[in-house]
Amino acid sequence: MRRADGIRVLVFLAASAGVLLLPRLISDFRAQQLAYVGIYFIALLGLNLLTGITGQISLGHGAFMLIGGYTTAILISHQEPPLELLGHQFTGDMRDIWTIPLAGLVAGFAGFLFGFPALRLSGLYLALATFAVAVAAPALVRKYQGFTGGGGGINLFDVEGRTGGSTTDPITFETTSGVDILGFHISSFNVWLYYLCWTLALVLFAAAWLMLRGRLGRSLRAIRDSELAAVSSGVNLARYKTLAFGISAFYAGVAGSLLALATTFVNPDTFPIALSIFLLVGVVVGGLGSLWPLVFGAIFIHFMQIEWAQKADLVIPDWIPFLGDIDTDAPGAPAVAFGVVLILIMLALPSGAAGLLRTLKSLITRGYHRVR
Amino acid sequence: MRRSSLVLSLLSLALAGAIATGATAASSADPGITGKTILLGGTSPLSGPASAYASVARGANAYFKYVNARGGVHGRAINYKVVDDAYNPSQTVQATKQLVEQDKVFAIFNSLGTEHNVATRSYLNQMRVPQLFVASGATTFGADYKRYPWTIGFQPSYRAEGWIYGKYLARTKPGARVAVLFQNDDYGKDLMAGLKQGMARSKVKVIAAQPFEVTAPDVRSQISTLKTSGANVLALFATPRHAIQGYVFAERLNWRPLIINNAVSSASNIMTLASEGGTNKAVQNSISIVFLKDPTDVKWRNDPAIKLYRTIMSRHAKGANPKDVYHVYGMAVAYETVKVLKAAGKNPTRAAVMAQTRKLNDVSNPFMLPGIAIKTSATERFPIEQALLQRWSKGSWTSFGGLWGFRAG
Repeated sequence: MRRADGIRVLVFLAASAGVLLLPRLISDFRAQQLAYVGIYFIALLGLNLLTGITGQISLGHGAFMLIGGYTTAILISHQEPPLELLGHQFTGDMRDIWTIPLAGLVAGFAGFLFGFPALRLSGLYLALATFAVAVAAPALVRKYQGFTGGGGGINLFDVEGRTGGSTTDPITFETTSGVDILGFHISSFNVWLYYLCWTLALVLFAAAWLMLRGRLGRSLRAIRDSELAAVSSGVNLARYKTLAFGISAFYAGVAGSLLALATTFVNPDTFPIALSIFLLVGVVVGGLGSLWPLVFGAIFIHFMQIEWAQKADLVIPDWIPFLGDIDTDAPGAPAVAFGVVLILIMLALPSGAAGLLRTLKSLITRGYHRVR
Repeated sequence: MRRSSLVLSLLSLALAGAIATGATAASSADPGITGKTILLGGTSPLSGPASAYASVARGANAYFKYVNARGGVHGRAINYKVVDDAYNPSQTVQATKQLVEQDKVFAIFNSLGTEHNVATRSYLNQMRVPQLFVASGATTFGADYKRYPWTIGFQPSYRAEGWIYGKYLARTKPGARVAVLFQNDDYGKDLMAGLKQGMARSKVKVIAAQPFEVTAPDVRSQISTLKTSGANVLALFATPRHAIQGYVFAERLNWRPLIINNAVSSASNIMTLASEGGTNKAVQNSISIVFLKDPTDVKWRNDPAIKLYRTIMSRHAKGANPKDVYHVYGMAVAYETVKVLKAAGKNPTRAAVMAQTRKLNDVSNPFMLPGIAIKTSATERFPIEQALLQRWSKGSWTSFGGLWGFRAG
């Protein structure tokens, strides 16, 4: 057991080194895309802890991302007049990276609170209740527009506290861009974003692994497998379920905060209901209950939404009636392509990327003849 | 022998030509333009809640294909890459960065949605990429040109539209008492500000105004409050769902004011829904603005531009519904873009194209109503500020009167 852990730590360190060296090999634009993959990876780690490990289905994690994203946006934006809630004015102007842990904590607290009503719900009913949260959150943002900027959203591109934005020297009028951190100079915003997202992703991944290999992980898994058995073995159901909700929402909040910083804009449409559903799709594609294979889920939901959707005409074969000769600019084409690909994946890999990897591993270690 | 030398000289001429075009292409420093192509890119809600607007990009793309089949612009084909953003500004930003940094487009063109274009505007201006003919009527895209010189809109601004309604009431209905239902955001407030500006110094007054949130399930209470104000004109500054509800509740309350319906909700299919199969009498004689030729209007049945529109649609937009007026919008904006690119010279740069958008003066865009000018200047960045008024009767729109032109101040 100890030796296996040692190997895991070594693999993790090697993978981290690879992740941190990758920007030297890829284009600036790819670095940005992979930064988004890192953001989704964090969100999937959180959702997986709740849905994959604890067995509580959430269709509302987009709402926790929204809370994280808006926490960051409100804390760093400088609005005229200032945003206001219950008489307290938020003047903004905070440095963006310091808002990331705060965004996680605020979202985590919201998740923890949501955990209490969720105690009484399970299965489909819990899925519906969380879905309601995802539906209600954007509407609430529009309703309290004095605090959130309403449907028009908050633009973060030009705010002072944004790291990596270009700044103009007031005397020489020289415009400089890039980030100086820990003695390194990162010249491109995209690469900075990549390092920010993936550093946090690696830390949060390690944290998730450490949490789940001990007592907490055992308790959560016990709840998933049988609540009755878990309670009779001394697991405090209320404490662990609310804790799972809180930790999971913390991860989502951090991801939402990073999404706001990457997009440099938030409005209610930035966190649509579809986001919550995509996250669940990501966890299933990566493999429910797995950890690092969630990267594949993150890659899937990021690239499928924008880049692969542009190749809708390649995904749908020409001989399919009505759909075969579809133009890529036809309404609905990307959604159809997404659906087709998702069905194919679920048919071929019902237990996601993690299942495929398990099969491959057993093929290698046990030899082909023993696996049927 | 003579013949082969002729072939040889022709070949060498062709080669020299190819080198020359290659050389000129290389001298044009801006990305997205080669000897044979110009690459434009834009986002459109091909999926998601606003996918009805996807027809705008489709109509534009069909027109570019038609132009390309006839030789393109100065011999270059226009390729228009449309990326789905699902009407999510976060995806608009990602897709726009992809178009600029990976696909290396010459310009961002016709991207749709107010917040979506606000979200990408600072970035595009920092990168000095033209944000051409934004598909939104928000006033900011024309008003804030000093801060965002690489951005320009197209359609009449909401403020100009409201102004036209105000001016029309001031001239034709002195003493009218106006009630306004407006969406509580920049779009609704822009229309409202324009309306008040248009009726300034006249005997027409706004006597009641009721805002509603875009998330409101219905506008019943707003309409009944407006009715009790005793107004005889009702302005609906709402997107389709709430505009239809406005008609329905006015009818239920037996209230028959003159109803002004903003252009966002005045497409024929929406009006037909509001008519409730002909039982809704409040819909009759509604007023709205129009600046495009409506392909369902019998008046344009034999119009050469609408005939051309149908041909282009059947040839270059397979399976699309030619009755959808958003396709005409797309063609109108694509037509103007072709014109701008032609005027920007044989080897246009991004800056040259933007310079052209600051001196538009076109009264001959065939997809626009006759007489409407597309006009800008160094200090005036709203391309379309004219429109006709139209009246809804017996299931279709009929335009009436002369052109109305917005004059600020």
